[in-house]
Amino acid sequence: MSRTPEEPPRREFLKQGLAIGVALAAGQALRPGRVFGSVVDPDPEVPNEQVARILKDLFGDRPIRRGQVVLDMPVVAEDGRVVPVMIEAPDLPMTTGNYVKAVHLIVDHNPDPYLAAFDVTPAMGKLSLQFRIKMKRTTWVRAIVETSSGEVWADYARVTVSLNGCG
Amino acid sequence: MMTIGEARIRVPSKIQKGDLISVSAIVQHPMDTGFFRSADGQPIPAYFIKDVTVTYAGQQVAHFMWTSGISRDPVVTFTLIADREGPLTIRWVDNKGAAFEQTAQIAFSTT
Repeated sequence: MSRTPEEPPRREFLKQGLAIGVALAAGQALRPGRVFGSVVDPDPEVPNEQVARILKDLFGDRPIRRGQVVLDMPVVAEDGRVVPVMIEAPDLPMTTGNYVKAVHLIVDHNPDPYLAAFDVTPAMGKLSLQFRIKMKRTTWVRAIVETSSGEVWADYARVTVSLNGCG
Repeated sequence: MMTIGEARIRVPSKIQKGDLISVSAIVQHPMDTGFFRSADGQPIPAYFIKDVTVTYAGQQVAHFMWTSGISRDPVVTFTLIADREGPLTIRWVDNKGAAFEQTAQIAFSTT
């Protein structure tokens, strides 16, 4: 109980609270636009040899960094036959010399995990894709983009599937 | 009764030169995975769109490679810079080699 008049515990507590608040706000600011999906998960582990081979074939030894791309999917998909997918990369340039050239969608626990690829061009103005997929069971989904300069960016969504949509 | 390959493309009704427009397209297709059986127990073979090409005023602007993991009656929405007038054509090809095509005209509104 050694209180000094200069730093009463209450003031100290408020300061800490403020610092935590600022840190949280900054954290939020770094991850804009996340409405669905979880926020601070670590990168999902590669679940099996099949997915490992797909990633190796597509990207070789290039690092797959998290960021730049935003994958939005429902947290819970009631019907695995029709699950909406939104992929955007609002901050990646789409100009003739520097652009997103491909998007790959990998669904870890689907029978055919490498579900779709989209070759895109600067004529599209920005990267914004929406479509619907089938999902067999609860799994991680990976949206991975490649830029014309060879960078590889990814975002991940964990989707809980109630009804198997793959048979 | 569904007609396989029937397709529609939706673009904004008013487009000014240089607009970033949103394009939506749907094609009717069963997108069978090959994992299901019919009511009488017969396996339903895989039957799906595997290749989509988007051409705008003679230039290929996108190319999608799909599997049967895309939902039936595939829809896709993407953006495009409307910098010239001309046809926007989407061509869907399935794993049996059938091709389906639909075109929307990109024209600038005068108002």
